[in-house]
Amino acid sequence: MTGTRSAITFAWLLLLPALIYILTIVGYPLIDTINLSFTDASLRPTVNFVGWENYQDIFNAEFGGIIVRTIVWTTFSVGLKILIGTCGALLLNAAIPGRTLFRILTMPPWIIPIPIGVFAWGWLYNGQFGMISAMLEGLGLTSGPTEFLAYGNTAFWSTIVTDVWIGVPMVTMYLLAAVQSIPKDLYEAAWTDGAGRFYRFRRITLPMLLPAIATMSTLSLIFTFNSFDIIWILTGGGPRGQTTTMIIDTYKTAIGSYKYGAGAARAVMICLFLSVFCYFYFRLINKVSRQGA
Amino acid sequence: MKALSPSVLAGASAVAILAAGLPIGSAFAQDTVIRFIQCGDEIAETYPELIEQFEADHPGVSVEVEVVGWGECQDKATTLAAAGDPVGLAYMGSRTLKQLALNGLIVPIPMTEEEKASYYPHIVDTVTFDGQQWGFPTAFSTKALYYNKGLMEAAGLDPETPPTTWDELYEMSAAVAEETGVSGYGLIAKSFDSTAHHFLNWLYTNNGSVIDEDGNITLDSPEAIEALAALGRMVPVSEPGATAYESAELRALFNDEQLAFLQSGPWERVRFNEGIDWGVAPLPTGPSATGPGTLLITDSLAVFNGTGYEDLAIEFARFLTNPENQFAYESVHGLTPLRPVPGVDELVAEDPTWKPFIDGIPNGGPEPLFVDYRGFQDVMIDMVQSVVLGEATAEDAIATAAADLEEYK
Repeated sequence: MTGTRSAITFAWLLLLPALIYILTIVGYPLIDTINLSFTDASLRPTVNFVGWENYQDIFNAEFGGIIVRTIVWTTFSVGLKILIGTCGALLLNAAIPGRTLFRILTMPPWIIPIPIGVFAWGWLYNGQFGMISAMLEGLGLTSGPTEFLAYGNTAFWSTIVTDVWIGVPMVTMYLLAAVQSIPKDLYEAAWTDGAGRFYRFRRITLPMLLPAIATMSTLSLIFTFNSFDIIWILTGGGPRGQTTTMIIDTYKTAIGSYKYGAGAARAVMICLFLSVFCYFYFRLINKVSRQGA
Repeated sequence: MKALSPSVLAGASAVAILAAGLPIGSAFAQDTVIRFIQCGDEIAETYPELIEQFEADHPGVSVEVEVVGWGECQDKATTLAAAGDPVGLAYMGSRTLKQLALNGLIVPIPMTEEEKASYYPHIVDTVTFDGQQWGFPTAFSTKALYYNKGLMEAAGLDPETPPTTWDELYEMSAAVAEETGVSGYGLIAKSFDSTAHHFLNWLYTNNGSVIDEDGNITLDSPEAIEALAALGRMVPVSEPGATAYESAELRALFNDEQLAFLQSGPWERVRFNEGIDWGVAPLPTGPSATGPGTLLITDSLAVFNGTGYEDLAIEFARFLTNPENQFAYESVHGLTPLRPVPGVDELVAEDPTWKPFIDGIPNGGPEPLFVDYRGFQDVMIDMVQSVVLGEATAEDAIATAAADLEEYK
C-alpha cells in the first residue's frame, strides 16, 4: 500500500514540471480571458463585472452569420489543403527523376514570410495589374479586368485560395513523412497477391495514412480557424464584412475598438467552438480508424 | 572542475541582476526620463538636435525616443497606457484623442488664445474636445485633385482647365473613360481608413458634417446625401472594382497612366513617375458648397496621464511644435504647414503645387472625434461600399449610418 502511494507521489512529481508549464502557459491566460469576458474592460482604468452581457451582445449582433462564414471558410480551406497535400505527398513519394528538386520546390509558400506572400497575392488578384485577371482575359473567359477582392463572393474564395497556397506545403511534407514510414513489405505482399495500384492505395496507403491525416487535419483546422493575417491583409474583412471570420471580428472588437471584455467573450467562444469541433472530429476519426482496422 | 548546479546558477544570476540594478537605481533616482513614442521607420530628422537642446536646457532630464512602425505605434502607446505603464508622450492620430481623453489616459493641453490663433483655421478643432485641447498638432495634411494632363488632352479636354465642380469632374472622367479607355476617377472604397477619409472629402466639399460640437450626429442631411449620391455616380467612370482600391493602389494606377483624376495629399507630388505631365487643383465642390473644402487630418503629440512628469512632457511637446521647430519639421517631411508662418509664402512661391493644399483649409472640416473611432470608420466604410456596390441608395445608406453612429459617439 505504501509502495503504491509512493509510486503515485513519484508519478505526480514527474508530472509536476509539465503541469506547472501547462498551467502557466495555458491555464492562467485561459482563466484570465474567461474572467475578462464577464467584464466591461476597455481603456478605462475601472473594470466592472457585467455578467453575461458580452455573450448576449454577441448573439444579438451579426455573430451568427460570422460563425457560419467561419465554418464554411475553414471547411473548404482545410479540406482543400488535405486533399492537395495528400495527392502531393503521394506524387513526391513516387520514384521519379528530380524528386528532391520537386520536394524543394514545394516549400517556398511555407518558407516565404506570410505577409510577403499575401501581399504578392493581393497584386495577383488586382484587376489592372494582376496576372490572374490578365490570363482570364487572354483566354477569352472574361471581357475586362476582374477585381477578385472587390466583391464579397470572389473575395471570400480568393482568401481561401491564398490560405490553401500557404498551408499545403506543411500538409504535404507531414503526409510525405507518413507515407515514407509505411512498411514496404506490405506493398510487396499485396503486389505478390496480385493487388492493383488503386487497391493497394485503398487498403494499405489510405488506412495507414489515416492517423496522420487526422492529426494534420486537426492542426490545420486550428491554424485555419485562427488564420488572421491572410484575410486582414487581403481584404480587412470586407467588402461589407463578407470575409469577416470570428478571429477578424475578435481582433476588431478587442484591439480595434479596445473593448477588451467583449473581445475576450469572442475569444472564449472561439475556444469553445474549436474544443467542441475537435471532440466530435476525433470521435469520428477514431470510429473510421476502428472500421478501417 | 565541478559543474555548478542549476539552482546555484539561478541564485547567482539573481544576485548579479540585483547587484547590477542597485547602483543604476541610486545613480539616476533624481533624474527624469521622458519616454517618447514616435511613429515611423526612423527618428524625425530635426528631432535629435532639438532633443539635445531641450536636455541642455533642463539638467537632469533626458528624452528616450522609441521609434515604432506606423502599423503598431498608436496601439502600443495606447495599450501601454491602459496597462498602467504610460509613456510621457506619443505621436497619435488626433482622431483618437477623444477616446483617450474620456478614458483618462491623456491630459489636457493648456493652450493660450495666442497659441490657438497661430494655427490655420480649424486646425485646433482637430484636437479639441469638451472645450479643451488634448494634443499639439504636429503633422497635417489636406487633399487636392491631381490630374493627368496627357489623358485629358487625349480625351479632347483642355489640360489646363481641371474640374471645379462635381458635375465637371463626372463629365471629364466620363470623357476620359470613353475616349481613352482608361479610368477617369480614382474611387477609394476598400475596407481601409482612406475610404472614410475619401468620403469626408466629398462631404466637406458640400458643406456637410458628421457630428456637431454638442455630440449630435448630423450626418443625415441633404448635403451628405448629395455627397454620397455624387460619389456613387462616379462608379461607372472610375476604376472597376473600387471596393478593392485604396490610395496606394490608385497611385500605382495614376503612375501607370491608367487613371486621369486622383484625390490625394501633398506627398504624392514627389512620388509620381517622371514623365507624367500632371497638375493639381483644389477639390471640386458640390452644389451646396460655400467655398473650397477638404478634410483636415492632423496627428498630434499627446501627453499621457500617470507618468509623474506630465508638465515636463507638455513643455517638451510644446517645444517640438513651436512655430519655428514645427515649420522645420514640416519642410523636411513635405507636410502641409500648420501655421501661416512667413516661410509658407516662400514655399508656395518656390513650388506653386502647394497652393491647392493650403487654399482649402479655411472651409475644411476636421476628422470627426468619436469615442470609438474604429467603430465610426467601419460604419463609414460600410456606408460607402453599400452605395458603390449598388446595394443601397444614398438616402438609405446615410440614414443607416447616422443611426449606427449613435453607438460610437
